[in-house]
Amino acid sequence: MRPFPDPDPGRPDRLTPGRYLFWLTRLEIGVVLLGAFYGCLWPVAQALVPYAVGRAIDDGLAARDRSDLLLWGGIVLALGLVQAASGILQDRCALANALGARYRTLQLVTRQAARLGATLPRRVSAGEVMSVGVSDVTQIGRALEISSRGIGSAVTIVVIATIMLEASWQLGLVVLAGVPVMVWALSLLLRPLIDRQSRLRDQQSELTSRAVDIVGGLRVLRGIGGEEMFAGRYREESQRVRHAGVQVARVESLLESTRMLLPGLLVALVVFLGARYVLDGDLTGGQLVAFYGYAVFLAVPVRRISIAAGVVMKAHVAARRVVDLLALEPELASGPKRLEAAASDLHDPASGLVVDGGRFTAVACSRPADADAVADRLGRYTDSDVTYGEQPIRDLDLDDVRRHVLVVSNDARLFAGALRDELDPAGRADDHRLDRTVDVASGADILEALPDGLDTEIAPDGREFSGGQRQRLRLARALTVDPEVLVLVEPTSAVDAHTEARIAERLAAERTGRTTVVFSTSPILLDHADRVVLVDAGKAVATGTHAELMGDERYRALVAREEGEA
Amino acid sequence: MSELPVASMRTVRARARRLALAHPRELAVVVALYALGAASGLAGPWLIGRLVEDVTRGVDDVSLVTALICGFIVAQALLTGLGMYAAARLGEKVLARLREEFVTDVLALPLGTVERAGTGDLITRTTRDVDLLARAVRYAIPETLISTLTIALTLGGLVIIGPLLALPCLVAVPTLWAATRWYLARAHAGYLRENASYSQIAEGLSETVDGARTVEALRLGDRRFERVNRDIAASYAAERYTLRLRTVYLPTIDTSFVLPVVATLVIGGLFYLEGMVSLAAVTTATLYTQQLLVPIDMLLFWMNELQIGGAALARLLGVRRDGGGAGDDGSDRPRPRADAVVGADPGRGVQVHGVSYAYRDGRDVLRGVDLAIAPGERLAIVGPSGAGKSTLGKLLAGVHPPRAGTVTVDGVAVGDLPLDRLRSSVALVTQEHHVFRGTVRDNVVLGRPAADDDAVEQALRAVDAWGWASALGLGTAVGSGGVELSPAQAQQLALARLVLVDPHTLVLDEATSLLDPRAARHLERSLAAVLAGRTVIAIAHRLHTAHDADRVAVMDDGRIVELGSHDELVAAGGAYAALWRSWHGDHSG
Repeated sequence: MRPFPDPDPGRPDRLTPGRYLFWLTRLEIGVVLLGAFYGCLWPVAQALVPYAVGRAIDDGLAARDRSDLLLWGGIVLALGLVQAASGILQDRCALANALGARYRTLQLVTRQAARLGATLPRRVSAGEVMSVGVSDVTQIGRALEISSRGIGSAVTIVVIATIMLEASWQLGLVVLAGVPVMVWALSLLLRPLIDRQSRLRDQQSELTSRAVDIVGGLRVLRGIGGEEMFAGRYREESQRVRHAGVQVARVESLLESTRMLLPGLLVALVVFLGARYVLDGDLTGGQLVAFYGYAVFLAVPVRRISIAAGVVMKAHVAARRVVDLLALEPELASGPKRLEAAASDLHDPASGLVVDGGRFTAVACSRPADADAVADRLGRYTDSDVTYGEQPIRDLDLDDVRRHVLVVSNDARLFAGALRDELDPAGRADDHRLDRTVDVASGADILEALPDGLDTEIAPDGREFSGGQRQRLRLARALTVDPEVLVLVEPTSAVDAHTEARIAERLAAERTGRTTVVFSTSPILLDHADRVVLVDAGKAVATGTHAELMGDERYRALVAREEGEA
Repeated sequence: MSELPVASMRTVRARARRLALAHPRELAVVVALYALGAASGLAGPWLIGRLVEDVTRGVDDVSLVTALICGFIVAQALLTGLGMYAAARLGEKVLARLREEFVTDVLALPLGTVERAGTGDLITRTTRDVDLLARAVRYAIPETLISTLTIALTLGGLVIIGPLLALPCLVAVPTLWAATRWYLARAHAGYLRENASYSQIAEGLSETVDGARTVEALRLGDRRFERVNRDIAASYAAERYTLRLRTVYLPTIDTSFVLPVVATLVIGGLFYLEGMVSLAAVTTATLYTQQLLVPIDMLLFWMNELQIGGAALARLLGVRRDGGGAGDDGSDRPRPRADAVVGADPGRGVQVHGVSYAYRDGRDVLRGVDLAIAPGERLAIVGPSGAGKSTLGKLLAGVHPPRAGTVTVDGVAVGDLPLDRLRSSVALVTQEHHVFRGTVRDNVVLGRPAADDDAVEQALRAVDAWGWASALGLGTAVGSGGVELSPAQAQQLALARLVLVDPHTLVLDEATSLLDPRAARHLERSLAAVLAGRTVIAIAHRLHTAHDADRVAVMDDGRIVELGSHDELVAAGGAYAALWRSWHGDHSG
């Protein structure tokens, strides 16, 4: 089997569910065909067993010929061995196909989530993406898994019909005509089944979203004792899923009955006609037994084709969700111009804010929402008329902008893994450098408390750390990245005054010569800035040093920590 | 990452047995329907055997026999369909219960266990494992039963036709037995590993999705791609292992199947040639043996699925207290549910004696903390980040039990309070904000589901949130997939939730840190009016809070180093005074 993951999952050519499944199949076509070959070999060997048994009865028993009996007995054994070998080989191909499709889709979904970045949460819920990544990839994998079996079944039906045609053209024709009718009748039941299944799938996705809430919200639930109500709501949703499941089962059972009934009736017809031919002397007893065997045996490939059709239909539904996700485009278009590295001024016309290149600017906003909005504009997370140097930022290459301008808010996330990798996303910093940036963020005590220091594996989102610790780790990470322009939104809101003072002092020194913008209303931070801008109701209204601005009534009301009424 | 616990094999078996016996009537109906269906299936070969003999002798009973065959086919199809439906109904019932119990159990697990395990493991268990188990319950159990029944009935049929002809079947027994033993010894662990690898994949994806903006900001796309590739490689290794097991097992089994057919045919044929049995008997016996292949094949296939289902069940049961899964911080002790608490004295406030606590062994983050808080007092806790303030807050609210020492509320240890009593006594709102999937109203009434709209409005007004909340509408869906609320709004919701629960003691851990300072102070004061008379313990970096409090406790390195009113501490000129000066941006101190 070839190794997974494929270093490059490739790019699906056109984003429709059918094309996507076809694309996946084409990439695995060698294994699919090999699997189909084994898939044919297996039932053919199985189909020949009744024939060999029939011959053993006719030539060996009825004719009382010991050596023919042994010969045909040996052939039955040989067929069994071929079956055993081709069975497992086919399984191996099927698994390789399933995994190939599943892993490839996962890679594409991950790549797409990373590509969409900030656009992702605005366009699709986390639960939906997780449903795609957990359930839909499996469903798509199953379609590829079953493909070789489906092809094998179709070939088997043809082979059996041919053998029967050779022995008795009437019976062969009955089978040849009967099978398509059966498959058609079964497919009629598939449509309502798929409909109910996709409804079930939607409800399961809802339930998944509830489960997602547990990890994020358990602290909250613990704090106020909301566990019971939460469990109650989960139960309600779970019961809805249960009822949808029973609805699916109703159609499934009907389908199952039909899958037994139709081939069974075909068998009865074959037996009825065959027995008449025996009475007329056109057929031997052994042949009738063989015919019975064929007809019974036909139920298996018919059933498999019907199952394969259902699986492919489900995969089609799953593939639609995948392509819907893959079709999303980032909200922001990359501009054509490359960004040359130079310390330039940033100008935000919407607020009138000007950030001097290479200096430390602090921005005090009277409304917290303004800080986020201005930061998003400066870092181009929303489109605006912001200019960098003389260039409108929206004309610049987006990747260049991300490289030059880093916006860090308190929503920034830490990822699971070694702390070293987390603090140094580019993998360029040595221990010395990391120790320094952690120290600037006043986080040396966090490292000291960790059993393996920088090599400690941290939990998703650094959940084992307190809010203040996480905030300092995020800051250390931003400083290690060392971007041309660093925009920090309330970087010290969760730390104490002493720590904040240390950070403010070291931050200014660390960022000397580089552009730093800090959104904060803390006098400790503001006091360390080269220049402070007051943003009131979304507009820059005053500029100066912290000390100078303290003379401004609006500014003092916002930042001064007076003991009286706020 | 550390996963949620997994139950032992023994627990799984015991639980599976209990589940099966919990619904005896339904299970009996399923088995009966399937058994009758399987029995109807046996009539076919027998009738054909007779037909062959009759028609070769020239006796014409074709119409009658065909009609009988049709009758049995219809019966088999109907009974099996009904059996399947009954099995699915039972299965869905059992599954829903397992899934719900799983979530209820997870909600009662130690916080650290759940958070370290992360979203991926949880989602994989509630979806993929439940699905696998659904397959096992819905198909594997009935199919195993039906196959076993079919095999028994067929063997019975063989013995009736001629005991001699049943003997050749025995040739398959030794290899089947040995191979199955070998396989079952390894399969469970293999499938557990496989499932765990899918948890990892889901966790990685969940991180990428939740942190999508950070991924963009730090250009982590390649790194996330490496992560999924690593997880895929691990999953592939797990898949290969179970595939290897099957590659040995399945061909051995398949070969074992064909032996009885050949043996019956050849040995039976020789018996016939010796005149010991009739032609019809050999024909029927060979057909029966051949027919045995399908149920035996099915039995083994579904036994494999049962293995997979067992592994899934082990993961679902792992979080149960009696499931062999252990928590990580010793808080596994069941919390009393009934009102079994005596000696509660509302006048005694919150008492902390010699409390120590460690998240990791040997690294105490709290060291012998003593603190007495009078009823109705407003205490502020300040100190450097990492000093243990939040941990103390969690211990006060009974989220974690202390490693050493006691925390009592009204004279009763918080660990001994039944959950409903505990929450009406002490509640905690932390800096972690989380908006639950649901409506605004759902989010507010989480701690008091019975609250009416008036109460909800009062609570929202108390936290200055009525303006935006009423504009949005109480029935508006928020949280994942709904309207996105700002962190400040999320904090207001959290506080409104607390107001509605109305405990006599509140622990507020940076509960207003995401609001701007003026709004925060306004909110704190409006909240104080609503909470008049309640004991409030506020952990804060904004020293307004400390200034407004009755007393201030200063923590450093896991200890309380200063305790007193704001004025006393400022006058004392110690750590708090320095902090106070520093907070005002006065760097002379």
